[in-house]
Amino acid sequence: MATEKILVLGIGNDILTDDGIGPKLVGELRKMDFPADITFKTASVGGLEILEMISGFSRVFLIDAIRTKNGKPGTVYFLPAEDFSETQNLTNLHDVNFLTALELGSKLNFQIPGEIMIIAVEIVEDLEFSEDLSPALKKRYLEILSKVHKFLLEALMYQKSMTPAR
Amino acid sequence: MKQISIDPITRLEGHGKIEIFVNDDGEVENAYFQVPELRGFEKFCEGRPVEELPSIVTKICGVCPGCHHMASGKAVDAVFGADPPPTAKKIRELFYMAHFVHSHIAHFYALAAPDFVVGPTANPAERNILGVISKVGLQIGSEVIKQRRIAQEIQALIGGHQTHVIMNTPGGVKKGITDEQRDDIVTKAEGFVEFSKFSIQLFKDVVLGNKDYVELILNGPYSLVLHSMGLVDGNNKVNFYDGKVRVVDTKGKELYKYGPDQYLDYVEERVEPWTYLKFPYLKKIGWKGFIDGQESGVYHATPLSRLNAADGMATPVAQQEYDFMYKTLGGKPVHATLAMHWARLIELIYSAEHCLELAKDPDITGKDLRAPLGKIVGEGVGIVEAQRGTLTHHYWTDDRGMVRKVNLIVGTTNNHAAICMSIKKAAQGLIKKGTEITEGTLNMIEMAFRAYDPCFSCATHSLPGQMKMLLNIRDHQGNIISSFERK
Repeated sequence: MATEKILVLGIGNDILTDDGIGPKLVGELRKMDFPADITFKTASVGGLEILEMISGFSRVFLIDAIRTKNGKPGTVYFLPAEDFSETQNLTNLHDVNFLTALELGSKLNFQIPGEIMIIAVEIVEDLEFSEDLSPALKKRYLEILSKVHKFLLEALMYQKSMTPAR
Repeated sequence: MKQISIDPITRLEGHGKIEIFVNDDGEVENAYFQVPELRGFEKFCEGRPVEELPSIVTKICGVCPGCHHMASGKAVDAVFGADPPPTAKKIRELFYMAHFVHSHIAHFYALAAPDFVVGPTANPAERNILGVISKVGLQIGSEVIKQRRIAQEIQALIGGHQTHVIMNTPGGVKKGITDEQRDDIVTKAEGFVEFSKFSIQLFKDVVLGNKDYVELILNGPYSLVLHSMGLVDGNNKVNFYDGKVRVVDTKGKELYKYGPDQYLDYVEERVEPWTYLKFPYLKKIGWKGFIDGQESGVYHATPLSRLNAADGMATPVAQQEYDFMYKTLGGKPVHATLAMHWARLIELIYSAEHCLELAKDPDITGKDLRAPLGKIVGEGVGIVEAQRGTLTHHYWTDDRGMVRKVNLIVGTTNNHAAICMSIKKAAQGLIKKGTEITEGTLNMIEMAFRAYDPCFSCATHSLPGQMKMLLNIRDHQGNIISSFERK
């Protein structure tokens, strides 16, 4: 059986309060136990940048901040890329949005992962510079980390096809 | 009075929007571009050792981290009274040219080309980089991605990281370039030169070859007559990394030329009650309101204004293209907003050529990487040209070099008033009584500010035809009488 290449990528700015939730979680997850080899990375912008980072992996889990109307801070959403909902940093406003990046990658023969899952955390504050999370998110941080860890453990129990789906 | 609202509804909802006010005759009376502003950066920096700032400022924004790193590095040099040796300056500049190549390629192919190659009122589903590639071919698409990636590889090699750059240290750079690395960069820079020449030829074929587009650039609702700002070298040629800030008036006559430490004598910032973002203007002229023309205190700091403010380009092919642009558009200075795209491509050529020049310079592999530090003078200003305009970092420290205060004027902020005025002008030209507002109308309004590639802390949506918008036409009581939404 071919070995899966798995990437967990946290996107956001780690000095912009809750915007850094993705990179912060990746910092913790990389120290935790998983039943598979995982590459952990962080990035600050999406668009073409992300396309190049995920190319060549068979399964990708992107962790980003999200804001939804009436969303409860700390809620974690697990969104398959095909049910994509725009998150805070997946789109680079100075080049292309995430779905365009994926389509571009397919056309240009990039190795687009067969599975892309977006893990989005509902945030409160992303306009103020701070290395700390907002109080509302800080309060639920361990719970968020545990949810994401559990989700990844469960997801990794199922080996997906390495055949690029796009 | 009716009100038209265009609201981005994803990131930072409720903070960034365009308001266009229409009177009872259906004429656009005013336009406001309200944008969010990230808060607390100054506080975040206070009390830290100033030498940490060049690495911290790369996190202000993931789009132009290299620009902040360079301006910050120069401000820190000034705080320590240190003048980097030639090799260090050239290594910084080599990195910076790759940063410009990377950014200008992305802007042209992803943001500018869709409006021209695919068409300003084309189906928005096709008006993007995919539509561009379907017109010009997959091979060119691959080349766009390849050249952009190579530019990033050079940045990562020299800068230590492609985004969170760590190369600058007070008085110089942390590491040098080996002969082998230099040879590799030379090969890559040769590729940049060829690709930049190809890109401007594509622009000429597609845009200049279409009389409707030329008409749109020259006579469409996209002209704004303002003074021009840009950094110039000792020969008054465009320079991105070093030199003096030169300002020419609306007719191209030099108004001022000043060093970074004098900027407060020439630029002042105005506060308006309806937006957090400030409006810089030329202090000696004064704030005369949102007006263009010779009397205005408002200036442009854009790729086009850099070319207007200079006497030419410092590299041969860029100079040829500079001459050709002004000849084609009727002489200097040019005030057509959409010509910023053309100017950006001329800058792309300059960046590529200068990247190659620097890589071949014998000093580039020198070992003298850092100047001895002087006494901490407690204040320093660093100015560079960022892709989106003149970028100023000003730091104040105590006698131990701990940060007391920070002031930044970022590229886009220079253009805040100009962007508002450009939007108003485009709206006035496009929205008349009885006009049916279509997605194409919205895109053509967006084109007025997309030319600036505005970077309001990554908060404004500037993707061609992809900005999520809600446009409401309201009567004077605020009731919606019709609306248009792009999801």
